[in-house]
Amino acid sequence: MFNRRQLLAGAAALGGASLLPSLAHAKGSLVATTYPGSWEDAYRSVVAPMLKKKDDITLDLAPLFAMDQIGKAKAARGAPPFDVFLLDPGPRIVAIEGGLFDKFDPKKLSNLSKIPDGFADEYGVCVSAQVVGIAYNPKKVPKPTGWTDLLKDPWASRLGLTGFQTTFGTSSIIEISKQFGGSLTNIDPGLVELKKILPKVAAVGLPAAMPGLFQQGQCDVMYTNTQTVSTLKGKGVDIEFVKPESGAIAFYTTMHVAKGTEAVENAYKYLDLVIGKDVQAALTPEPYNFLPVNKDVPLTPDMPMKSLDEMAKYINHDWAKINPLRAAWIDKFNKEMAK
Amino acid sequence: MRSKLAEWQLALPLGLAFAALFLAPLLLLVGVSFYNDEKITQLGVGSWSGFFGDAFNYKVIVDTLLLGLKTICTTVVIGYPLALVYMDLSPRLQKVLIFVIVMPLLLSVVVRTFAWIVVLGREGVVNSVLLGLGIISEPLKLLQTELGLVISLTQIEMPLMLLPLISVMSRVDPNLRDASAALGASRWRTLFTVILPLSMPGLVAGCLLVFASSTTAFISQTVIGGVRLIYLPLVIWQQALVVYHWPLAAVASLSLMISVMTVIAALSWIGRRSGGYVNG
Amino acid sequence: MGRRQSVGDISYGLVIGTLALLAVTIIVAPVIIVLLTSFTNGQAIKFPPQGLSLRWYEQLFDASKSGQIHKTAGNSLIIAAWSTGIGVVLGTMATLGLARNRARLARVADGFFMSPLVLPGMTFGLAALVYFSLLGFRPSINLMIAGHLIVTMPFILRTTSASLSQLDPALLDSSQSLGASWFYTLRRVTLPLIAPGIAAGAFLAFMASIDNVPVSLFLSNARTDTLPIRMWGMMESTLDVRVAAVSGVLITAAFLLMLVMEWTVGITRRMRD
Repeated sequence: MFNRRQLLAGAAALGGASLLPSLAHAKGSLVATTYPGSWEDAYRSVVAPMLKKKDDITLDLAPLFAMDQIGKAKAARGAPPFDVFLLDPGPRIVAIEGGLFDKFDPKKLSNLSKIPDGFADEYGVCVSAQVVGIAYNPKKVPKPTGWTDLLKDPWASRLGLTGFQTTFGTSSIIEISKQFGGSLTNIDPGLVELKKILPKVAAVGLPAAMPGLFQQGQCDVMYTNTQTVSTLKGKGVDIEFVKPESGAIAFYTTMHVAKGTEAVENAYKYLDLVIGKDVQAALTPEPYNFLPVNKDVPLTPDMPMKSLDEMAKYINHDWAKINPLRAAWIDKFNKEMAK
Repeated sequence: MRSKLAEWQLALPLGLAFAALFLAPLLLLVGVSFYNDEKITQLGVGSWSGFFGDAFNYKVIVDTLLLGLKTICTTVVIGYPLALVYMDLSPRLQKVLIFVIVMPLLLSVVVRTFAWIVVLGREGVVNSVLLGLGIISEPLKLLQTELGLVISLTQIEMPLMLLPLISVMSRVDPNLRDASAALGASRWRTLFTVILPLSMPGLVAGCLLVFASSTTAFISQTVIGGVRLIYLPLVIWQQALVVYHWPLAAVASLSLMISVMTVIAALSWIGRRSGGYVNG
Repeated sequence: MGRRQSVGDISYGLVIGTLALLAVTIIVAPVIIVLLTSFTNGQAIKFPPQGLSLRWYEQLFDASKSGQIHKTAGNSLIIAAWSTGIGVVLGTMATLGLARNRARLARVADGFFMSPLVLPGMTFGLAALVYFSLLGFRPSINLMIAGHLIVTMPFILRTTSASLSQLDPALLDSSQSLGASWFYTLRRVTLPLIAPGIAAGAFLAFMASIDNVPVSLFLSNARTDTLPIRMWGMMESTLDVRVAAVSGVLITAAFLLMLVMEWTVGITRRMRD
């Protein structure tokens, strides 16, 4: 039989093991990334409980912007820190080039027939679309009409700025630059103009901080996507969305299975759930306003478009051209904006 | 009965833990800094020369150290008088005051930082009071400014200043003050010629802790300071977890360590010269 | 002469008194303001709060709405408990081993163990991340415990060695001269006498671990996130009023813990000495 010391050691080990989560993936769990802010809110309160209920999978969400996800995955060297990516077009290309995705098999999705053709490929599946434009506080400033308004008073002194770390930030500064003679690959004219108004702008923040700054009244105008506007509205914040005269920016948002993950099956179950009718229908109305990709879920009247067919009428940026320049832009923005 | 050697061996487990979990990571960090590329394949001094070849980074280092020094100044200017008042209090009130000082130390830095968002925000306490009193007509901008950051850090780091200070001051013989007064010295004179020199070790120890803590206070720096005020912790974080250039992150973090340690060494040298033993 | 002195004394009292009052205000006011804000009925964090209610506390304690926060709080507690537990054992052993050792190496070792107190946390956090990643470890609670063990060690060492140094060596010598073994003396004399010091150190280390940002920032991931990191995320993005409610809970907990520690081991006295 055991002696007292062995029993004690055994008990300690057991106690330790039960407290210390093991290194391996717990059965029925999944780590997926999500964007901080409105996406995080929506996925935590809607998708996570549904996944638990339907497939008994615990969803852990890592709030990271697309670029940060790529960085983290690259740094992890084959042991991905999460199982599913949520990406915009630019970072998606970077990740494909970096070989960060597991080869995707759309046929594993039971809801495949419910999404438009071409929305799922060998890399991943499209789960929503985003529209980027200007948000303003109607109680504090008049309605701006286009990008150039942001650089004039009364908007300039109430403007909240953020840099190139995100798709919405990059796309918006590109559009601002275009108004001053810049182009898709030349953002310098925009930066020159922004620098001129810098002493009076209300706030310069990390992208994730912008909704909070707006909510606190630190700034009353910013560029952002429609989901953020809805989420803030749902919290009682005075905020409205404006399509700039020169056009709003639109792009698809996709999800991908990370290469090297041990939770492939759970990842497919999650993706299938996300494009399924229940999740899409729950995320479409206020306060989320996510553009649905499921054919059974109609767009709501408040959305910027009537159907996804209108995507082509919006400004679509060619990320293959932007990607190589982006790291330098991020650096430049940080330095130009530093006090 | 055990020999001294055996007793000394009791420290071995901790020594090994520190060697494996503290010294080895720091040495590896130094090693990683001598790679040129983010994939950590190519040895060289490229990351160091790249980092120090950029004038912007000098400004960041100087700003970081200045932030630490400014925080030291504000914590001393209002903390030292509080320590003086502490000496005159009854033991019972002393206990209450210590409690009040230690309390924020036990409170998460994140909570203390958050408190300052509520206080300094555009619609925060300071602005509503000043607007309400008609002292200002437009809300002051306090968040995302260095002033706001220094004010916040003053509170956040204050316990680190006060604890060593009070600990040393409560050992100052009260008779010395009385003697000084009896000899006709004013209270100011007594403060500068008697109390200040005697409390120097505590003051220096407090300065060390405040400096070390405020220069690495990433959350307060980013949340209160915003992204326009760039300090080394933000650079380290961005290089390590956003850009994933570990050699550059290593260079930035070693620069932080070296510059902070240099200032700390200078401070404790001053402390030793002023005749006290610094318990840092 | 006498008159000039009294003017000086009045100015001394005014200046020192005002500054000290300012210090107390700046220490206390934000804590009270956060506490009051957490009872707001409104959607936004504003002062004065718009209407009083417990709605944000209700939301915070609702497992379906705030499950993630509960989980990160659980992570924080597990990490703090383990790192403090291991730290107390290793730290007490090391203090006993080094306390009466006058060798130069012992002083160096002592300084080495105390150095995490002044070494920038961001530097050690990054070093730990690089080290563990290059060794091939995936982020886990165990790594977080290892990192926290290092940064909280100075708190344990400081109070333990302070209480050991107050111990009368004659007591130990007499115990041993009466024939008690080294271990018996340790168990029946030394440990009971320094126990309050160890407890105070454990308490401070535990709180420092709960509070730690720089190490957790680098070593945590979605599964092992701690409460401060999650709160930072909430503060940076949505600025949810629940942050105020979490703060309220933490303020209350710290206050109560502090009272308990004051009654049991006299924590304020130990922090002052």
